[in-house]
Amino acid sequence: MAAPGPGEYFSVGSHVSCLTCLGQRLQGEVVAFDYQSKMLTLKCASSSGKPNLCDVILINLAYVSDVEIINDRTETPPPLASLNVSKLATRARMEKEDKLSQAYAISAGVSVEGQQLFQTIHKTIKDCKWQEKNIVVMDDVIISPPYQVENCKGKEGSALSHVRKIVEKHFRDVESQKSLQRSQAQQTQKDSALSS
Amino acid sequence: MSFLDFQLAYSGVYANMRMVHVLTSVVGTKCELKVRNGVVYEGVFKTYGPECELVLDAAHRKGPEPVVGPRHEDIVESIIFKASDVVVVQFKDIDLNYAKKDNFTDSAVSARLNGEHKEKDLKPWDGGEQHGSDSLESLDADMSNGWDPNDMFRFNEETYGVKSTYDSSLSSYTVPLERDNSEEFLKREARATQLAEEIEASATYKARVALENDLRSEEEKFTAVVRAERESHTPSGRENKYVPPGQRNKEGLSWGAGRQNSPRMVQSNNNVPSTRPGPHDYSLSSAADRVLNGGATWPSPCPSPSRPPSRYQSGSTSLPPRATTPTRPSSRPPSRPTRPPSHPSVHGSSAPVSTMPKRMSTEGPLRMSPKTQRTPRAHRLSSSRGGIPSGVDFIPHSAPVDASIPPPAHSSMSGGTWSSVVSGGEQHSDLSLTHRPRSPKQTTLGSSPAGSCPQVGTTPIDPVAVPVSPTTASLASNQAITPSTEAKESRVQETRQMSPVANKEIVKPVDTSPSIGRPVNKGDTLYLTFPASHEASTGDKIAPPPPAPTMSTATPNTSISPGSSSSPSSPSSSASPASVLCPAPEYKRGPEVTSQGVQTTGPGSKLDGQEDKEEKKDSVQEQVRKSTLNPNAKEFNPRTFCTQPKPATTPTPPRPQGQPSPSVVVPQPPTVYSQTVCFPQMYPLTPVSPGVQVPHMTVSQTKPYRAVPSMPQQRQDQHHSQGTPTMMHPASATGPSIVASSPAYSAQYFTCSPQQFTSQTLVQQMPHYQSQHVFSSVMQGSARMMAPPTHGQPSLVSSSTTQYAEQTHAMYGKCPPALSVSKLLPMSPGPIPQSYSHPSATLHAQHPQPSATPTGQQQQGQHAGSHPAPSPVQHQAAQALHLGTPSQQQMYSALTPTPPSMNPGPNTQSTQASFPSAQQAVYIHTQQVQHGYNPSHMAHVQQAHLQSGVVPSHHTTPSHPPMMLMATQPPGGPQHSLPQSALPPIPVSSTAHFSYMAHPSGITQGTE
Repeated sequence: MAAPGPGEYFSVGSHVSCLTCLGQRLQGEVVAFDYQSKMLTLKCASSSGKPNLCDVILINLAYVSDVEIINDRTETPPPLASLNVSKLATRARMEKEDKLSQAYAISAGVSVEGQQLFQTIHKTIKDCKWQEKNIVVMDDVIISPPYQVENCKGKEGSALSHVRKIVEKHFRDVESQKSLQRSQAQQTQKDSALSS
Repeated sequence: MSFLDFQLAYSGVYANMRMVHVLTSVVGTKCELKVRNGVVYEGVFKTYGPECELVLDAAHRKGPEPVVGPRHEDIVESIIFKASDVVVVQFKDIDLNYAKKDNFTDSAVSARLNGEHKEKDLKPWDGGEQHGSDSLESLDADMSNGWDPNDMFRFNEETYGVKSTYDSSLSSYTVPLERDNSEEFLKREARATQLAEEIEASATYKARVALENDLRSEEEKFTAVVRAERESHTPSGRENKYVPPGQRNKEGLSWGAGRQNSPRMVQSNNNVPSTRPGPHDYSLSSAADRVLNGGATWPSPCPSPSRPPSRYQSGSTSLPPRATTPTRPSSRPPSRPTRPPSHPSVHGSSAPVSTMPKRMSTEGPLRMSPKTQRTPRAHRLSSSRGGIPSGVDFIPHSAPVDASIPPPAHSSMSGGTWSSVVSGGEQHSDLSLTHRPRSPKQTTLGSSPAGSCPQVGTTPIDPVAVPVSPTTASLASNQAITPSTEAKESRVQETRQMSPVANKEIVKPVDTSPSIGRPVNKGDTLYLTFPASHEASTGDKIAPPPPAPTMSTATPNTSISPGSSSSPSSPSSSASPASVLCPAPEYKRGPEVTSQGVQTTGPGSKLDGQEDKEEKKDSVQEQVRKSTLNPNAKEFNPRTFCTQPKPATTPTPPRPQGQPSPSVVVPQPPTVYSQTVCFPQMYPLTPVSPGVQVPHMTVSQTKPYRAVPSMPQQRQDQHHSQGTPTMMHPASATGPSIVASSPAYSAQYFTCSPQQFTSQTLVQQMPHYQSQHVFSSVMQGSARMMAPPTHGQPSLVSSSTTQYAEQTHAMYGKCPPALSVSKLLPMSPGPIPQSYSHPSATLHAQHPQPSATPTGQQQQGQHAGSHPAPSPVQHQAAQALHLGTPSQQQMYSALTPTPPSMNPGPNTQSTQASFPSAQQAVYIHTQQVQHGYNPSHMAHVQQAHLQSGVVPSHHTTPSHPPMMLMATQPPGGPQHSLPQSALPPIPVSSTAHFSYMAHPSGITQGTE
């Protein structure tokens, strides 16, 4: 294994910019590089703008046309922390189950509104799942189509009221979104009408 | 050694620590993977392979338009992407700290701060010129004790107008004494004076006054660290004191290993003239004592009970010191002769001789009764284990192991290295040669416990190993020391594994990363010596126990019980465990692999026996110990004393037979074979209990080595000597492992499988997984390669692993025949074992590659001679596989983890025992399934075959990659869930994964 250390090609911590064969410009801090597989791992700011998170990009340099080092690393990279593998494994399993259950609901013919609502609830309450076409939140509240506030059923209590609030807000946001789009559409129509 | 060596051991991306870290950190997150043709797949990142193959679970092809979500039919259970097909992978919104170990343990905090302290030099404060003389110096010059009360009163009166009512006579509280000259008054005054004198003369009064009038500052009294020169040897009371590492070294330089372990500490303590005769003895006594102390970390190895324990981590939990002492005696006598030279230099100061008598008296009795000795060892082990997190489970195992270990140490010179490596702290390199062997094992045991998950799996293995060891031991003794290079390698691997365990001391043994790092260090030193010592020790120890253990342990493995009674049967039983473990090893090293498989089984059976014994309580233990003791004693003594009756009489073959139980012996031979193999196997198993497995493996390996200079030949010889049964076992063991691994995968795939139908690719992928240890570990074993059927083209991913696929294909195709063969062969009672052996056999036979490896063939041939026709084939095949492709080994190892998860453990007398059995069962199941027990399985088999057929094409056409990899398999959708459920591998636990990681390196080293 005469593979050179990662530092010989890209020093960990340096900032690199590269252009993929698909025309995508990627830029970030080098986290790791594997010479044999030509895989370069970059860490960049989160695409969603969340401060504590980051995006990790794995790039195959075999399909990169342009690589330039923006600046070299200034300090030695920190030591690697040990990882809780079981935690990672659990996350992988949970993510997979979530996706499959969601896909299951989608293939069951759940409306787009229902899927959006599910996404919204899931952001707040992880413990929600599809049961046929019903959304079950915390095994307590059941939201059945068409997923309006009045469709939230369950034991009266804080859970139900909380879910109702979420649902209510969700549809309010959707409405505002729609009205906004509508107004924009109308605006464009007017413009077009005027122009014509 | 150290990290560099480690990394070298790993292949591909696995050698790149940073890449491994980053990729592992993003496991379980959603990612978008763009392949060369621009198609984007989204899925949950499951794991990665050594060639940077990426596995996405629940992946679907992302369309151009943003859809709310994929339909269930669009989701592929899992997809493996070859690195060459991947353009970019994006993980969004990742919390890289998600899986970091907690930062709030002492170890975590100290780990972060470690080293910074040195940078902080304390400097006297310099106030500069500002305050100068006025404030500071004036304060220093002012000797007054603060303000005078009158000044305060005056100040308050002037400033605030407050008039104090203070009366110095305190008339409000007391009554003034009116003096007179009356007789009465004088009398009373005299009386008062007398009382005052009495009081003031009392010690308590003086002490209190001294306290009050102590001129030392509070800092001096309570805070300051005064580094006055201490005399290295304080008479007494030093036992429990903490001795900084540096000072320890001063005291016990001879111990070289110098690890923190108790041995040195003990010795240093011993040096102290007054209190500890015992300690001195220890030093003098030599390796045995050291071994005991160090290896066990056992609290009590030393006569001077309290000290060592406190220092040792395990010590606290450990059983009473005295219990351990008994064991020492036996070891000591032998060791002393040899040790004296080395010890003198170190211990030198105190008179060892004088101490000797004392110990003799105390220990003497213990020595007399071998049983007692062994039991103590067991206790030590248990105690040590107890210290470890998972100690309970291990304890039983450890005890047996320990017993076996000590003897080897004595017998083998190299033992010293072992102990040092293993124990890390324990290492008394010079003295401990004999003892060391024990310590390593102990450490391994202990370590294994640390990893909770691994423990279970390991425990079973251990038992198996134990049985094996006896034979190996016998061989070793007879053959003397023939540590072959292979043995070294195996040792190294073992040591690595061991090291993690040893690292128990380290807070993070559980963590995969720690284990990896640690192993290396230990491994280096220990490896070399180990083989001989381990073999000897294991053999000695094991030999005795085998009979009893096998009997008792028989319950865990149904097959095993018969084996105990008769060699043939036992082999089968042992084989089954071995097979589970062995698979991976075998692949890597054809001949060796097979042997490893056997060894593994042997250890497992041993472990089982140990466990059972423990369960049975003292009576059983005693029996076992007795059996073990005799063999051990002989072997050990001979080495140390140079009077080993058994060795002299009959080289390898005779002893095994003559010793405890033929059956036991038989398992061992297999173990020998498996030594090299063992590691790989160990890996898979290791996840469950790395430490335990490793020890066993090492033991078995060592034995074979010693017995036979050339691995293959020796092994064969051993087998022959042992008899056909033994032969069968190894073969079966090796065979099973191979088969098992493949079956497990296939089973998984099958379950997955909607895709399977469509895909040949699936099969190919399967092999890949196996090959990718990381994958399996990360994946949790459950990861199934989903080939997109829709594309129809061979999966690109599979192309990389075409070779594997071919092998696997061959395996599959052969499997049916093999099964039949195995059925025939499996004379052993345990159905499961048979099935294991069979699968492997079939696989081996089918593989064309076997022919390539001469050694493997030779072994096979030998095996064949002993065994029925079927067995030979298996062996050959196994060997061939091993030789042919290291990658296969990896794959197997990966697979192995899954089996545990499968959790079939029909034979579960003890959890540990059950694990091995479970693994076996799993393998069997998979095989069975393929054979067609279950309709679904049958289907899988067919698919596998199909895949095999496809594979070649893949190889030929790697360019297609993207297409092949990702095809979504709508039809398969529903099945996904099932496969997942089927894939219990996850249970294995993270620790297991880590172990895998570590193991690969070990394996690679061995191969390299």
